[in-house]
Amino acid sequence: MTDQKDPLVEFSNALVARTETARNAVAAIRLGHGRHVTGILWPGGVVVASEQALPGREEDFELVGPGGATVASRIAGRDPSTNIAILKPLEIMAAPAIGSAGQARAGAIALAVGADGTGGASARLGIVNRAGPEWHSIRGGLIDQRIVLDLRLAHREEGGPVLDASGLCLGMSTFGPRGQVIVIPTATIERIVPLLLKDGRVARGWLGVALQAVAVPDALRESSDQSSGLMVMSVVEGGPAAQAGIVAGDIILSVDGTPAHRFRRIARHFGSESIGRKSEVRLIRSGAVNTVQVTIAERRT
Amino acid sequence: MSEAAGQLMPIAPLRVAIRSNDALRRAALALMVSRSGHLVVGMDEAADVVLADGSGLAGETRSVVRLGGTEDGSQGALPRGADASQIDAAIRAVAAGLIVRAPGPADAGFGAMGEADSHALLTPRELEVLAALAEGMTNKAIARRLDISLHTVKFHMESLFRKLGARTRTEAVAKASERRRRETIML
Repeated sequence: MTDQKDPLVEFSNALVARTETARNAVAAIRLGHGRHVTGILWPGGVVVASEQALPGREEDFELVGPGGATVASRIAGRDPSTNIAILKPLEIMAAPAIGSAGQARAGAIALAVGADGTGGASARLGIVNRAGPEWHSIRGGLIDQRIVLDLRLAHREEGGPVLDASGLCLGMSTFGPRGQVIVIPTATIERIVPLLLKDGRVARGWLGVALQAVAVPDALRESSDQSSGLMVMSVVEGGPAAQAGIVAGDIILSVDGTPAHRFRRIARHFGSESIGRKSEVRLIRSGAVNTVQVTIAERRT
Repeated sequence: MSEAAGQLMPIAPLRVAIRSNDALRRAALALMVSRSGHLVVGMDEAADVVLADGSGLAGETRSVVRLGGTEDGSQGALPRGADASQIDAAIRAVAAGLIVRAPGPADAGFGAMGEADSHALLTPRELEVLAALAEGMTNKAIARRLDISLHTVKFHMESLFRKLGARTRTEAVAKASERRRRETIML
């Protein structure tokens, strides 16, 4: 009888209730050989998944929805730069309304839900280990908040929703480097899904170079007015940079006046609106500061 | 502590045969392997381990560490750009009868763009010295190639070691290649 008031029992019951609600928001995405990963049933009739968890060459995936019904689906778009893919089920799959959580805070409870492959849900409980500002992925995508969880996740659970204590969705679970479990925030998914629905991809500007940050040699600091820049390590043949005569060894100082101290600063210059723009690239070549004009193209994937 | 560490070292150096079609690459690998304490031998000599560029060593009965190429059942398989410490670890592991596989991109996880501290950024000249170092060149040879004095090479070398937090030349090359892997931006 006193059980009813036991806070630990209440806590446990609340987690069970949350997991049962979340069960209706997850689907298993079958990969073959008995393996699967998780997807989130998202408003608008799509399933959101972790891009890196889906094999690159496949287009068609079988989904196991809540309750165990199987539905065929096809990839409708993928964006490796934010690690978001969407699948379109060939039959309607109702998405329950899960509210969007605001900013995550370190120490808050996090419940990660995965699809068990037979129509049920699996659950993982932990806390938000670290909550930080927005960040850029290695592919240049902007992720709205850094959220690291302290829980373990199975590969089949990657791509499921992560809920906060009020049952709101913090975002999608995925693996970061060294098996770390991170969250792609709901805000990022809400930003990317409409773009993927429209074009199947997220267009980004492209120069066709590999860059590494370098210190500007002392002798050139004054004339370049910068202590660091981005050195061109290689140039993609026929790419915009190659056409503009940029060669390996050039040190890019700025793009349209924005200093290229660090990639983060100029990343914003290469959004979809940059495609086709004629940009002024200031660079150091053979010990002298030059300016070349480059027409930004669209990144090939 | 040091006694325990000493016990982990192999008693006898391993005999490693190296196969690569590119003479320069072969020389670089031979240097890496011998600096790790192994004995480099010819392909037709008795060897504990064969270090091969790419696949296609059909009929090889010795343990093979393959760099790049496609899955062919070699005991060890590393990416072509594996660094000295990884190659050394793989050679020791396959000689001990283990199987070595490097994590693929799917295991690497979705990561942030790495950005070095500004005080640790290398200069273009230091990158040139590093490239020569990776080829196994001596300070004298580096001075000749870059047309600078031996004193200047030593100056750059000290700066490189400090910025990379490395104590040996092999470690500097390994750390720099790891940094380059993490911090290279495709734009």
